[in-house]
Amino acid sequence: MEKFRTVLDFCLSHQKVLGYSAVSLLTAGSERLFSAVAFQCPCNSWNMLYGSVFLLVPALILFLLGYLLNVRAWRLFTACCAPGRCCCYIHRRRFWRYVSVLWLVTVSAAVAPLTWIAVALLGANLYECAVSGSSLLQRHLCQGRGTQCHEQVARIPCGGTLPKEAQTFVSLQTQSQVLGCILIASIMALVLAVTCINRCRSPVSFLQLRFWKIYLEKEREVFERKAKEHATKLAERNLKCFFESTEPEPFQTPSNKDWQQISSLYAFNTKGQYYSMIHKYISANRGTSIKSTEEDVFSPALGFVDGTDCNETGTL
Amino acid sequence: LDGKMHWRKAIGYSLMGLLTVGSEHLFSLSAFKCPCSNKNYTYGLVYLFVPALVLLFVGFALNGSTWQLFTGCCVNPRKLFPKGKSCHFFHAFGQITLKAFVAPVMWLSVVLLNGTFYECAMSGSKNLKYLEMLCHNKSNKCLEELPKVACGQTSLSSWETEEILLTLQAESQVVGWCVIVTAAFLSLLITCYGHCQSNTSHLQKRFWKIYTEKEKEQFEKYFEDYATKLSERNLKSFFENKKLEPFPMPSLRAWEEASALDSFNINQQIFSTLHKLVEDSMKENDSNETQDTMVNLVP
Repeated sequence: MEKFRTVLDFCLSHQKVLGYSAVSLLTAGSERLFSAVAFQCPCNSWNMLYGSVFLLVPALILFLLGYLLNVRAWRLFTACCAPGRCCCYIHRRRFWRYVSVLWLVTVSAAVAPLTWIAVALLGANLYECAVSGSSLLQRHLCQGRGTQCHEQVARIPCGGTLPKEAQTFVSLQTQSQVLGCILIASIMALVLAVTCINRCRSPVSFLQLRFWKIYLEKEREVFERKAKEHATKLAERNLKCFFESTEPEPFQTPSNKDWQQISSLYAFNTKGQYYSMIHKYISANRGTSIKSTEEDVFSPALGFVDGTDCNETGTL
Repeated sequence: LDGKMHWRKAIGYSLMGLLTVGSEHLFSLSAFKCPCSNKNYTYGLVYLFVPALVLLFVGFALNGSTWQLFTGCCVNPRKLFPKGKSCHFFHAFGQITLKAFVAPVMWLSVVLLNGTFYECAMSGSKNLKYLEMLCHNKSNKCLEELPKVACGQTSLSSWETEEILLTLQAESQVVGWCVIVTAAFLSLLITCYGHCQSNTSHLQKRFWKIYTEKEKEQFEKYFEDYATKLSERNLKSFFENKKLEPFPMPSLRAWEEASALDSFNINQQIFSTLHKLVEDSMKENDSNETQDTMVNLVP
């Protein structure tokens, strides 16, 4: 039991990394499955289209799904163009805030597609199929020879051999695997560099950041629990009135404005250290608007604040 | 898993996908036999689209909102287009249709990625240009032997047959990926539009979903409770020949009003039709009017 608790605590503290790793493993597994089961290079003029479609279209689909399932994106976009609110005038600071949150969302959504492309390149058969159909390679290998040479090049993925005169050509599989390794290495280097820079620019210290993440997790759990209790009480009161025709008691529920204030994007202020919008709203005079001021700091290191709230997707 | 609604949704959709793949394999193995004649095109298209249509109808039937929308509409057609809210019907029907389209799109993607049905259909195509493209650089009898390629019973050489089959499969898979990416893109656009246009903030929407779930649970509980009490009272009176005790139940009109679809406004902190009914009755009580129409005593 103790060991289980230790494992669970480890999982909770490294939730983000484990989450992304799970997504990557799932994507890598699906890519291998698709390549083994569904992919069969036609070895004719369709090679280029077929290979590129199998390489890039699933990556695009995963990217779109990444946006669809991202909480932060829907927090940003919900009610942004509601009737009665003017979308045309956006304050300069807010505009950059929107752009930086959108950038964070794009980066999270890019994990699965990049994994797909990297694993596909390491597997080599998709790249080989696509490039063997490219007119550039065919012209390079078949200089001065007829269209039969082009067809020979297109049949390389199906076990065909190269024309005798074109032996100084690096195997397509080798090219693919080298590209895959370079892609993985550059992504890792970029991620490390960006994380380093973000942490350096964080306005709060290491321990406070650690406490903050745990606070948000707990707040989310308590929100779910309190929301369910509140909803149950309201439903019971309504149904009792409907079935028994008793007079309904007045029921106190947060107003529309309260909900809007706590749903807005988080902004850190060194003067009042609030750990979430709910904390900020109830600490200020309830009912006053907690607009962002000039002293607010929008740090990428604090991007986790908007992402850890209720894990509800935006899907239909 | 209690609070993780989106994981439940994801698992639900994945199971649906696995079920689709399983059924497709079952169909291919047991029922599908390409006729390898001039009927290929019709046969292939039937296998591609008819199961998708069936899944669409099943999607409509299994959605509770469909029945909420249409129950009693013949008796009272005005119910579908209430005054001032005519487009409500289209909005609700639109949402039901979008949800019902998920299963057919999954079916189409799976069968196109597999390729068997498409190969059969297109090898019997009547489009001469397309057939000539398939038979490009092949022997003269390619055009007449093409419908038999899916069965492997042609007199063409094995490399020609293999190339035609691979080309057809490649086409099928490219079309399949296009279907999936279009569906994903449209899905994203519609969700984005829906979210941007909505007046409600993110967390309020979350609370609203929790409330709807809890209200449904409470409804079931109250239904069972009241049904038990009413049936006990009825049967007790029947068997023991006793006088009927009065039993208060909502009137027909109250049930009608509670069954109306989406006639509430979240921005006024009202989260369901029933909630609106209760709040309205509270306002009427405040202005000292009697609530005769709300409740009947069951005879």
